[in-house]
Amino acid sequence: MTAFILRRLWQMVPTLAGVILLVFFLFNWVGGDPALVLAGKVADPATIANIRRQLGVDQPYWVQLWIFVKQVFTFDFGRSWSTNEEVAHVILTRIGPTLTIMVPVMLIGTTLAVLFAVLVAYVRGTLTDRIVMIVATTAMSVSFLVYIIVFQWLFGFRFGIFPVQGWTDDFWTNLTRYAPLPIILAVLVGLAPELRLYRSFFLEELEQDYVRTARAKGLSEARVLLRHVLRNALIPILTNIGIYLPGLFVGSFLLEVFFAIPGLGREIIGAVNRSDFPVIKAVTVYLAMFTMLVNLLVDLAYRFVDPRVTFR
Amino acid sequence: MTGGEPSADTAALRPLLEVSELRVAFRAERHTLTEAVKGVSFAVGGQSTVALVGESGSGKSVSAMSIVRLLPENAEIAPGSRIVYGGQDLLAATPAAMRNLRGRDIAVIFQEPMTSLNPVFTIGDQIAEALRRHVRLGARAAAARAVELLDEVGIPRPAQRVRSYPHEMSGGQQQRAMIAMAIACEPRLLIADEPTTALDVTIQRQIIELLARLREKHQMSMLFITHDLGLVGEIADDVVVMQSGEVREQGTAREIFETPRHPYTRALLACRPTLDHRPARLAVIADFVDGRQPPALSDAPRSVNGHDPVVLEVRNLRKVFCMKKGLFSHEAVAAVDGVSFTLRRGHTLGVVGESGSGKTTVGLTVMRLHEASGGEVRFEGTDLLALSDAQMQPYRRRIQIVFQNPYASLNPRFTVGHILLEPMAIHGIGSGTPERLAIARQLLRRVGLAEDALGRYPHEFSGGQRQRIAIARCLTLKPDVLICDESVSALDVSVQAQVLNLLQDLQDELALSYIFISHDLTVVKYMSDEVLVMSGGRCVELASADEIYRAPRDEYTRRLLGSIPQGWRTKTGV
Amino acid sequence: MASLTVVAFFVALMLSSALGFVAHDWSAEVGISYAPPAFIAAGARETTGAGLETAAAVTGPKPVDISDVDPLAPRYAEWRERAGKIESVRFHPSATLPLGGDKWGRDVLKKTIKGSEVSITVGLVAALLAVALGAVFGATAGYWGGRVDDMFEWLYNVFTSIPYILLILAFAAVLSRGLATIILILGLTGWTGVYRLMRAEYIKHAGREYVRAAQAIGASHAARMFRHILPNTGHVMLVQLSQHVVQFIKAEVILSFLGLGVPVSMVSWGTMLAEAQEELVIGKWWQLVAAGTSMAVLVTAVSLLTDAMRDALDPRLR
Repeated sequence: MTAFILRRLWQMVPTLAGVILLVFFLFNWVGGDPALVLAGKVADPATIANIRRQLGVDQPYWVQLWIFVKQVFTFDFGRSWSTNEEVAHVILTRIGPTLTIMVPVMLIGTTLAVLFAVLVAYVRGTLTDRIVMIVATTAMSVSFLVYIIVFQWLFGFRFGIFPVQGWTDDFWTNLTRYAPLPIILAVLVGLAPELRLYRSFFLEELEQDYVRTARAKGLSEARVLLRHVLRNALIPILTNIGIYLPGLFVGSFLLEVFFAIPGLGREIIGAVNRSDFPVIKAVTVYLAMFTMLVNLLVDLAYRFVDPRVTFR
Repeated sequence: MTGGEPSADTAALRPLLEVSELRVAFRAERHTLTEAVKGVSFAVGGQSTVALVGESGSGKSVSAMSIVRLLPENAEIAPGSRIVYGGQDLLAATPAAMRNLRGRDIAVIFQEPMTSLNPVFTIGDQIAEALRRHVRLGARAAAARAVELLDEVGIPRPAQRVRSYPHEMSGGQQQRAMIAMAIACEPRLLIADEPTTALDVTIQRQIIELLARLREKHQMSMLFITHDLGLVGEIADDVVVMQSGEVREQGTAREIFETPRHPYTRALLACRPTLDHRPARLAVIADFVDGRQPPALSDAPRSVNGHDPVVLEVRNLRKVFCMKKGLFSHEAVAAVDGVSFTLRRGHTLGVVGESGSGKTTVGLTVMRLHEASGGEVRFEGTDLLALSDAQMQPYRRRIQIVFQNPYASLNPRFTVGHILLEPMAIHGIGSGTPERLAIARQLLRRVGLAEDALGRYPHEFSGGQRQRIAIARCLTLKPDVLICDESVSALDVSVQAQVLNLLQDLQDELALSYIFISHDLTVVKYMSDEVLVMSGGRCVELASADEIYRAPRDEYTRRLLGSIPQGWRTKTGV
Repeated sequence: MASLTVVAFFVALMLSSALGFVAHDWSAEVGISYAPPAFIAAGARETTGAGLETAAAVTGPKPVDISDVDPLAPRYAEWRERAGKIESVRFHPSATLPLGGDKWGRDVLKKTIKGSEVSITVGLVAALLAVALGAVFGATAGYWGGRVDDMFEWLYNVFTSIPYILLILAFAAVLSRGLATIILILGLTGWTGVYRLMRAEYIKHAGREYVRAAQAIGASHAARMFRHILPNTGHVMLVQLSQHVVQFIKAEVILSFLGLGVPVSMVSWGTMLAEAQEELVIGKWWQLVAAGTSMAVLVTAVSLLTDAMRDALDPRLR
């Protein structure tokens, strides 16, 4: 297993190099001259040249790339262009609020989706199944924006059950007071597509030969589903979670924007609007690294659901 | 045990299982019903083996699965059908009652052991599950019993193997584990649905013997579903012959094999080649159904003849596959390791071996569909392996191949016309489309298809017809050598006979040389002048066909030949 | 079948809008500010009519003034020209509009139609781009294997190790705003899913006997890749295409909402929703409903069409 992890870490090197190159290409090449962005519309050539020298963009590209690589590995991206805050500090302080929202969403959402998917698979082919599927399909087609706008208005303004928006420094206040509405929203909106997907996983497994064997043993349909099928369906479900997990950190940036949650997602939107390149670059590279680690963890987790997986 | 209270002697007289007027239909769209089983009746007596025999689409598996009600969800059993087991009408039983019956009274073994076992649970878990469900054993007692059962079905080191997952076992062991699971609760009826079809012939022999022994020991009855009459002759007491959803004939095994009455049964018995005869042509169903007498079957000699020119000479052929292993290292696996043979014009070289023996790789490497790792393939003196791709192109025409799976070997999006014209266009055969179309029409007629096939798509044809199209595609190039890679293995025996006859005719007519690759020793014996026996990538024995079957020199060859189901003959002989 | 009709209807709407048959004058201020939808106006007049009229009195003529004093935007002159034509016919802005009006009294129905043109164009073109990229990459990697495959797998790993939303935002940060940009962003970042599937298809098919047979008769690599295998993956591409249309329509709405999508001179369902957020607080719900519903109907229809296509085209189910 150690050998497997080492090999996988080794394989990450070219991918990481690729990510760095891609980000470098985007921001140092396509992104145009950052000095013009920084200096604003009214700036004399001298100021621009000065800024260029400070940023190192008057250097050849390979020097710039080297600076960027150094930044990545020293965790020092300098300061934000617009707020002059340290980039590392920006990232560290914005992760907390994002996780406060997204971890509960992930846990509750996945549990509910698996649960409902099992139930729907149990009554497959019936009217209930068809109705649930039609509702899910319809629900999926309404924009997330519409849900947020309507829910925020309905529960925040109209009924006043939850605060419209806000955030404090206290974790518990946040979790109990400001987080519930965004969490409920994200869970509800995420439920329909996940339910559909997981149901299809269950139905696919139900067509396998081993299900017939289990039935031939005289097992009840519930036991076939909960023991034999569920365990096998967990394998693609795990893959799916692995895909969504890295997104946890960008969080639902829409939720953060609407509910004024000072998280990573809102920060990125702000940075994009302000052309605050250092922040976007740093977040992109580190989240890519994180994603690679998550993928490794998911691969390790396969071992616990699928005995066919070996670490070679 | 079940149902009413019949008096002791009527219960003894009544068969264990009675199926009468069974009709099963499948709902395809919302409104269309296709009948798969059309009024089938048969019975299984106590402690006997009944074989349901038929080709694909005969409804044999559907009939058997109706008994335990394990049909697909779109299947419907028509009212009026009756399945009585031990006095109880199974079609009227509640789902709960059926579940109590399944696994305890009636157990089932399926065709594909690999997919029929749940991949994420250990063998022990899966066996214990049945015990805990029906015999209400505790976890520990059930686990202990699972070890005993594995031992009983002949799995070595059962105490360790009980913790294995299915993927850690070979196909034969998986099927043994399936059997252990089936007999766990001492059922009275065992339904075996093609239990050995997915297995190699030597493993098949072991499983058949195991099943016969267990049936005897546990005083079970067995319903054995198969397409292979050879197996039936060895294992069955009674035989039910089915065709397109109907019972054609039923009786004791002796009656069926010695005095078959129905033409279909007679045809099935005749169209399969045997080891001791080699008729010039195989009988086909059509010879029997019209009530005509089958043609006189004189034996045709086959042997290697030193006078015919050599077309293909293979020397020391090697093919190594690289498997990634560890961080940087690769492991080389030799799929073909030093195989040599000579092929003469108008003759057939048979290549036999079990799965993984490298026989298919030989075929693919010879015609450079795989790049060889070493050796020579001399075609009329030119070493094909030394040619560049461009130099190889004219030789591609000379060696052609017919693959195993008729459903995968024709491009589903091409019409038959397109399929036949493409090779001619590539190699510039015929002056233009009209001439090529004429050649295609003539070839379609030659392989026994109507000319209107040109505009149709492969999915409109049956397996046998598709194989004919594949043969026609090869013939468009007027090849010298035809490699038949398991070309008839996926076909029903009656269709197999027709395609084999076609291949024989074409060989006589066009002086083709065949490399006939198959796992089926009987068919290889029938088709070949010389036979190459392969095992683990190596040539184990190479000799003339008659010699190899009469006096095999190698131990492996002997074991292989000893495993061939001998049908009725050996049973009377014992 | 019904879904096909709906999709066809939307595409027809898009084409006619693009060609200027309908809704070309979406930006004309034809009604009073926040004109209520015609169908509720009759019933609602007694209760809210008075309030609306005052609102109209205050904000109604304002935008006209702006266009007069803002010579930097040439469009305003154009609009004024158009507005002038309309005003000559209908001097007073109408109090009600079929689906209501927005803050500047623009017709929500026309905005919705114009918005659907933008959304469908973005969804369709971006999906075509993504599927084309994914298909070419996947086919090349899957067919050739070896080094070529390693290279594309590397590219795939690079693109997928950055969370998708972040990738889009990173592209959006460096590119200027505009319809072509947003199509480019979605297309360049969205190919990975198609690539994965197409690569798997090509690996599967390249090992199939019919491809071997094609090799045996001497068919070239190009013939095998494109003439033999490509048509057999058509169903995958078609289903992917319609799935991506849905995905991209949704993405466009969100990007435009955030101000990263279409420029302000254009209307999109996303910008409509952005306006609607403020309007809802003061009780003007019709723009939200119009944009939200039309998008939901289109997306549902495309989704159902996708499901139907998948069932009809999947060779496993045939």
